[in-house]
Amino acid sequence: MALIEIKDLHASVADKPILKGINLTIKPGEVHAIMGPNGSGKSTLSNVLAGNEAYVKTAGQVLFDGKDIDDLAAHERACAGMFLAFQYPVEIAGISNMYFLKAAVNAVRKYQGKDQLDAMEFLDLIEEKKKVVQIRDDLLARAVNSGFSGGEKKRNEIFQMAMLEPKLGILDETDSGLDIDALRVVADGVNALRSPDRGFLVITHYQRLLDYIVPDFVHVLVDGQIVKSGGKELALSLEDEGYASWVEEKGA
Amino acid sequence: MDLKDLREKAAADFKANGFPTTKDEQWRFTDVSRVANTEFSTEWTAASVDFEPLSKIVLVFENGKLSRKKSSFDELPKGVCIGSILDLVDPRIGTLADSQSAFVSSNTACFSDGAFIEVPEGVQMDTPIHLVYLADAEGVALHLRNFISAGKGSAVTVIEEYIGQENATYWTNAVTEVFVADEGSVDHYKVQCESASSFHFQTLETHLGTNAIFSNHTVTLGSVLGRNDIRGKLAGEGGEAICNGLYLLKDKQHFDTHIFMDHAVPKCNSHELYKGILDDKAWAVFCGRILVQKDAQETDAIQSNANLLLSRGAKVNTLPQLEIYADDVKCTHGATIGELNETALYYLQTRGIDPIKGHAMLTFAFANEVLDEVKCKTAKTYIEGLVHDWLENASI
Ligand SMILES: Nc1ncnc2c1ncn2[C@@H]1O[C@H](COP(=O)(O)OP(=O)(O)OP(=O)(O)O)[C@@H](O)[C@H]1O
Ligand SMILES: [Mg+2]
Repeated sequence: MALIEIKDLHASVADKPILKGINLTIKPGEVHAIMGPNGSGKSTLSNVLAGNEAYVKTAGQVLFDGKDIDDLAAHERACAGMFLAFQYPVEIAGISNMYFLKAAVNAVRKYQGKDQLDAMEFLDLIEEKKKVVQIRDDLLARAVNSGFSGGEKKRNEIFQMAMLEPKLGILDETDSGLDIDALRVVADGVNALRSPDRGFLVITHYQRLLDYIVPDFVHVLVDGQIVKSGGKELALSLEDEGYASWVEEKGA
Repeated sequence: MDLKDLREKAAADFKANGFPTTKDEQWRFTDVSRVANTEFSTEWTAASVDFEPLSKIVLVFENGKLSRKKSSFDELPKGVCIGSILDLVDPRIGTLADSQSAFVSSNTACFSDGAFIEVPEGVQMDTPIHLVYLADAEGVALHLRNFISAGKGSAVTVIEEYIGQENATYWTNAVTEVFVADEGSVDHYKVQCESASSFHFQTLETHLGTNAIFSNHTVTLGSVLGRNDIRGKLAGEGGEAICNGLYLLKDKQHFDTHIFMDHAVPKCNSHELYKGILDDKAWAVFCGRILVQKDAQETDAIQSNANLLLSRGAKVNTLPQLEIYADDVKCTHGATIGELNETALYYLQTRGIDPIKGHAMLTFAFANEVLDEVKCKTAKTYIEGLVHDWLENASI
């Protein structure tokens, strides 16, 4: 069974149609990359999937794990195993990263009918996940993303993903703002999380990330539609030629 | 001036000026006629109000009088002097708190007791001093006067806590004068959990020497009508004043915070972070005045006031007042009145946290930011507990 099946998805933001019929299926174990010009609707797609209420689905269907997600609120989708690494992670003053992570992990566990982790078990989990995605202790102690550098925020997103062990990880431009070393840490983390029952949707502008996280499929999103799909070599040709030909074709 | 003369002068001042009215610029939003028009008695009774000592050193005042029985302040570091202000008169009493204000002058004229704390040069006290003011007497005025002096290079932590019996109607009128000598440090907390039908007014006056540090956190939960006047004078270069506070108001509570920070000399810092959460028909007033005098170059003053309204009936008046006469200064201020950040709520949701829990977390976080600079662990834990309990009963 597909992990997620997106069928003819249309969505609007502030009454403006952005997604105009997306079709995409991700099977367990697969990594799909989406590339596309600024404003083409990549973040909109990730927000619609994650359940952001500011984005309104106007037509189509999304099946996650075989179930329609229409009636699931954002937190229920997260608990069901969907994870969105934000393009712009949100700063939350006054809540420590540790406290936030514990609340998140236990919320997901509760939904999934698992026991709550106590303080010791939680710290053990943190230590275990630090081996997957290195993160400085002071970042864990500080308020969520508050005053984090751009790269630190992105690393924190991937650390959260490691902690929550989702079925589907949606990475919205996780590579932007990362230096070369941090990019490798994040990519290694994602690769470590790759497994036969987990899928990824990786949104990026750059081939560089896909050198590390090698995708099974690459899709080109232009003006709210997937205009081309292919293997990992498609990303390479985009790097050379840009989107101009697609944008023109659509415009014509 | 000796104490007797001081009291007489203050009584005369009070008689001449009377209570302020809403026609006074500084009292525009806070109508004190309910206090002015009530005849308060000064008859003393013992108090039966529960409290939790937060330190080995604790002074307990029952309806305005020090209770030796409930207090414990025997084991003190060498040279430290703690006791009743009536026994330990200091010529500096009354030199900071000016009699122009009706609340200060009536306090000076009438104070029945209060804490006296003197920490000599070079003594750094690790143990906080907990001052507890218990009130349950109906219809009384409690004029409390505290004096805190931290000698050169000394350090002391003082927690003032006001606790009232539910539904008792009384008037607390407190004045605290704080002298921080050069290189000295005073970490001061004020926790106000007065009865919901009481009136609570306090003037806190601070004088800071060279490289002195004064850190102040106020937490206001009680009283139906009240005000904190917090005034700091940065009188020596390199001084630092931190004034942070939180007011959590509900029902028809009205609470006013007036801060006045006087930068008289160069190279001083002052930080003020005040936050309020208002439920029901509560009304908060915040006025933060920063004066940077002509010679006070390289001043760094930051002020911010943020308010979270949980109900449509709640109201806030926030008024920053900057008066800057020096040219090389860094001065910022900001005020907000709003609701919870929806983006943050969504972010929490995408991590599996449901909106109800998310609301509670964000509301607590909003309040908790005020406690970021709290140095005293005991005070922090205690205050966090109070905030938590308050939020449990609020409409979130
Ligand atoms: N909240 C919003 N209100 C109004 N318009 C919006 C909103 N969110 C997105 N849009 C618009 O939707 C379009 C698609 O935006 P989206 O963020 O999905 O693009 P993107 O492909 O992720 O671009 P980028 O590569 O720059 O991240 C843009 O034209 C954007 O201005
Ligand atoms: Mg985007």
